[in-house]
Amino acid sequence: MLKILLPSILLLPSTWLISPKYLWTTTLSYSLLIASASLMWLAAPAETGWSFLNCLMASDPISTPLLVLTCWLLPLMILASQNHLMLEPTNRQRTFISLLISLQIFLILAFSATELIMFYIMFEATLIPTLIIITRWGNQMERLNAGTYFLFYTLAGSLPLLIALLLLQNSTGTLSFFTIPYLPLTCSDPWAHKIWWTACLLAFLVKMPLYGAHLWLPKAHVEAPIAGSMVLAAVLLKLGGYGMMRILIILDPISKELSYPFIILALWGVIMTGSICLRQTDLKALIAYSSVSHMGLVAAAILIQTPWAFTGALILMIAHGLTSSALFCLANTNYERTHSRTMLLARGLQTLLPLTAVWWFIATLANLALPPLPNLMGELMIITSLFKWSMWTLILTGLGTLITAGYSLYMFLTTQHGPIPNHLISINPPHSREHLLLTLHLLPLLLLILKPELLWGWSA
Amino acid sequence: MAPPIYSALIISLGLGTTMTFASTHWYLAWMGIEINTLAIIPLMSQNHIPRATEASTKYFFAQATASATLLFASISNAFLTGEWDILQTPNTLTSSLITLALAMKIGLAPLHSWMPEVMQGLSLLNGLILSTWQKLAPLYLIYQIQPTNSNIFIILGLLSIIVGGWGGFNQVQLRKILAYSSIAHLGWMILIISFSPPLALLTILIYLLMTFSLFSSFMLTRATHINSLATTWAKIPILTMSTPLILLSLGGLPPLTGFMPKWLILQELTKQDLAPIATLAALSSLFSLYFYLRLSYAMTLTMPPNNPAGTLPWRLNQQHNTTLMALTTTSTICLLPVTPAITALLPL
Repeated sequence: MLKILLPSILLLPSTWLISPKYLWTTTLSYSLLIASASLMWLAAPAETGWSFLNCLMASDPISTPLLVLTCWLLPLMILASQNHLMLEPTNRQRTFISLLISLQIFLILAFSATELIMFYIMFEATLIPTLIIITRWGNQMERLNAGTYFLFYTLAGSLPLLIALLLLQNSTGTLSFFTIPYLPLTCSDPWAHKIWWTACLLAFLVKMPLYGAHLWLPKAHVEAPIAGSMVLAAVLLKLGGYGMMRILIILDPISKELSYPFIILALWGVIMTGSICLRQTDLKALIAYSSVSHMGLVAAAILIQTPWAFTGALILMIAHGLTSSALFCLANTNYERTHSRTMLLARGLQTLLPLTAVWWFIATLANLALPPLPNLMGELMIITSLFKWSMWTLILTGLGTLITAGYSLYMFLTTQHGPIPNHLISINPPHSREHLLLTLHLLPLLLLILKPELLWGWSA
Repeated sequence: MAPPIYSALIISLGLGTTMTFASTHWYLAWMGIEINTLAIIPLMSQNHIPRATEASTKYFFAQATASATLLFASISNAFLTGEWDILQTPNTLTSSLITLALAMKIGLAPLHSWMPEVMQGLSLLNGLILSTWQKLAPLYLIYQIQPTNSNIFIILGLLSIIVGGWGGFNQVQLRKILAYSSIAHLGWMILIISFSPPLALLTILIYLLMTFSLFSSFMLTRATHINSLATTWAKIPILTMSTPLILLSLGGLPPLTGFMPKWLILQELTKQDLAPIATLAALSSLFSLYFYLRLSYAMTLTMPPNNPAGTLPWRLNQQHNTTLMALTTTSTICLLPVTPAITALLPL
């Protein structure tokens, strides 16, 4: 575990000591080296539970794919931010890269934490670099509001979690993931037990986000610079899903009844946010709402706690992470050329930028869950397990799949097909950097078709 | 102010607090507090501007009322129980009256009204002395009373956290914001003082570190208004990186040091079966976080190349001695991983 963590920590002094000429190439190559080294976590024996143990950190089949995704994302973020940061003074470039690296460090510590308080502190610690990235390097005035919404929604959910964890520690004496599943948990007062249950889950539901508490997400995703959007969509939302997976083990047996409203809210959110996507004019907002939609499926799946549901949720988290991040990069290519997020101002790009159109096509197909991509595997497993749980959910999930296909095609057709707008005088061709960025997003997604066992969690 | 007078006043400040620390008799403790008050009044009004005179007058009235109440309560206690020893203050009406008098001395809600206006009239250095040194003697006396009935402390604490947060919402003057921040943090201390006095000691020590760092940052750029924070990037660029971290540490965000007292206090409160109070205190501290965040926005997160929020000042070459400030700023940001060591030292 430290083989990956210590080099990530030492990237921080490297960023400040490298000469400006080599800053971006060096950070990119070192983070890519760390990312390829992190693939070793996937070779862990899956049957024995936890592997790569030390006193405070471990990885198990649920956290391993998320850890690898986190490490994989840092070089991608560095690659994506290079263009818009080139005009800034060197020290600010270094600060930006340091924020990305510190985010990676906190995320590695969060996903590999073996104790709930450590997980909580790292969960909260990811807020500060993200907040600074959104509010300092975002491009519109609304970014301050976005940062405030982001910080306060998450904190209002997570402070009750802290108290719930401290209560748990009082009654069980430990909060270690190794021992918690085996401890007898009794709570005398049923009402207090219900409130404690809600306090445990609220933070993760806000982070996922659940449909009713999702208002921070469109703001934060839209106002963030490309690296902020990428890390938010790909990893930070999954932090909520991962936390929920870990903590639901101890929340039985009242979860069977208490999770009903949240499952229904999540499924309803799939449809509602999908429908909102069909009416969006802002490209990044469309991708943000599509994230809420997919995460609604994930939230519903995690709450029903069956093996197929957990597996489907994990697969969909990874696949959605890569797809959503790729879509944000594509939206950024539009933004860097037209400095606008309005879809109608950048239509018909297939004639102007045919190579980027290929990436748009693949990313759109991934978003609407085309077989044999892992997106479909995840969604199908989730829909199946939800059907087994209650056959009426098929209406909501089926309709959700239809609407997802609808807005993904809407996004593709609006940006790629149709007449070219009259005001586009010249538009730069795609850089090799952008092609590399999208390859590095979509190639792992395609390769995962061949070995999806890596993502199956405990079912492997 | 002439150096002999200035040094006499500073020494008297130290003498007053030390006398209170060293005393076991209520008379001597009260005398120490009075010397403290009398010594700081000339320091506050040395500017001779009307605002400073008004601030020192208000401070004098508030402190005189509280001291008189303290004297009355301790004499009543001696009358009723025959004990002048501070440690032997049994839990009667007089103990609560002493607590309220000391609460007014340090500015806890609902006896906090004098704090923002007094702080606004002072220079930043005097404000620093007011919010750090002046709190020590009364808090020590509360600690010495060894309170067992926690109700009054919970009420004072929760009210202070809420008022400290809510009151600072609308403020643009930095000194008033710092006054409300002081009220909120003192609320956290008072909340825990009846359950675990060492934790209250830890809270005030960490609060001293954080406040000292923040005041020093503001003193370096002589910022007194939110708008004047916006030009910090032009004067001392490194402050634009450290001050938001100090502010977020004051707000209690992990992984900064300011999270440590809040975490330990919430842990102690949940051990005492006071989880709803703990939740209320934790959520109320989000109010203060809002205006700390607004200060960070003004200072750092709206820097160029975005539109600058204030007019640009002349950049003059200034000599700064920042040794102590560098130490306290580093402690404010990096001390959370050392929590186990600090917790082990707590029973002190």
